[in-house]
Amino acid sequence: MTTVDLHTLTGAYAVGALSGPEAEAFRRHMAECEACAQEVRELSETAARLALAVAEVPPDGLRERVMASLPEVRQLPPEVAVVPLHPAARRGPARRLPHLAAAACLVIAGIATGVAVDAQHRADVQHRRSVRAEQQAAELSALTSAPDATLHTGALKGGGTATVVASRSLGRAAVLFHDLPALSGSRVYELWYSHGGTMVPAGLVEPGRTAGAAVLAGAPTGADGVGITAEPHGGSPAPTGAPLVVLPV
Amino acid sequence: MRAAAQGGPAPAQPLPGALESLLERISRGDREAFDTLYTAVAGSVLGLARRVVRNPAQSEEVAQEVLIEVWRCASRFDARQGSAMAWIMTLAHRRAVDRVRSAQASADREVRAGVRDHSPAFDEVSEQVERRLEREQVRRCLRQLTELQHESVTLAYYRGYTYQETAEVLGVALGTVKTRLRDGLIRLRDCLGVSS
Repeated sequence: MTTVDLHTLTGAYAVGALSGPEAEAFRRHMAECEACAQEVRELSETAARLALAVAEVPPDGLRERVMASLPEVRQLPPEVAVVPLHPAARRGPARRLPHLAAAACLVIAGIATGVAVDAQHRADVQHRRSVRAEQQAAELSALTSAPDATLHTGALKGGGTATVVASRSLGRAAVLFHDLPALSGSRVYELWYSHGGTMVPAGLVEPGRTAGAAVLAGAPTGADGVGITAEPHGGSPAPTGAPLVVLPV
Repeated sequence: MRAAAQGGPAPAQPLPGALESLLERISRGDREAFDTLYTAVAGSVLGLARRVVRNPAQSEEVAQEVLIEVWRCASRFDARQGSAMAWIMTLAHRRAVDRVRSAQASADREVRAGVRDHSPAFDEVSEQVERRLEREQVRRCLRQLTELQHESVTLAYYRGYTYQETAEVLGVALGTVKTRLRDGLIRLRDCLGVSS
């Protein structure tokens, strides 16, 4: 294959459309072609946007299964930087290759998950997934990957933790939460934007959820914090009690 | 990330974003950071796996493997090579594609027949994709591609087809698919304002 041919493979490589040996040949070419490596980096970022656009709502059990397997998975140590013999050799081509680390990680045999998945159950779950919830999942991914996204985490009085993710450029904020204790009766967790202490309602946490996320209604513009309160069924127009947590935004 | 912290004559690096910071913490064994990252990316990982693998149970297995892979390999993420989201989605796409290609390998020539069987399906894929594309911008940008660019990109990315398979199903030359994939992605990149 000529060099010109190889140049045109940036797109195919970025979407994983090359077979193993071709991908290998292209990686070797990229090591010597900074323009190709740069283009692949950009096209891979572009492809990732296509993934965000098809986000789905994961079934409830997935988080538990993943979290439960972490203690059994040995984390790879960082790659130790090779001390350069000559300062000029400091930035070798390999340092700039897009996501070679990903390839290296995938070469190693996969983890035996041994998950028994009840297909029918999954299908039912799938059926119940609302388009709205899928939108939220995608919105969340976009929000968290925004270049200006900020994260603030805190514990709620009464238990559980919450993380506020906000992006000024997207004009969106979300709360990620876990281990939220169940509330008595039909009470719900309500989210608020705080404007200098004035609480503006920004939506409810889906009742009964102990872990997950909620994208706040409205933009964080002008808000200095995000608060969470426990409110009667259906939520309140103004907090009926002290916030369980207020996090900066 | 590290380069940004050092400052100095190194080329300007983008400030680490939220996901990049989380990966840094995850690489030190922080499970709470992983839990947060899970909430942020699991939906996209699963959605991508579903597009490529189709079978719900297998897609979920792929998603689970990818997420565990992120935990295992977090220390190998290098912000100079691209964003954390692109790294995770690259892992997810490779894993999903490996799953379907290894299943195909045993059936070898059935690939060709299978591609033919599925030939009406790229409409179905596009339709589903269109329906679920809630990110207005991505939808708008995909619409700006030529038909052949659009089909090449969605078949390769959402179906996990090789460019040879894509060429076969579209009935065009290999070279055409290669260039359409590249042109199409470049147009998407420019439309979405992606920089690296």
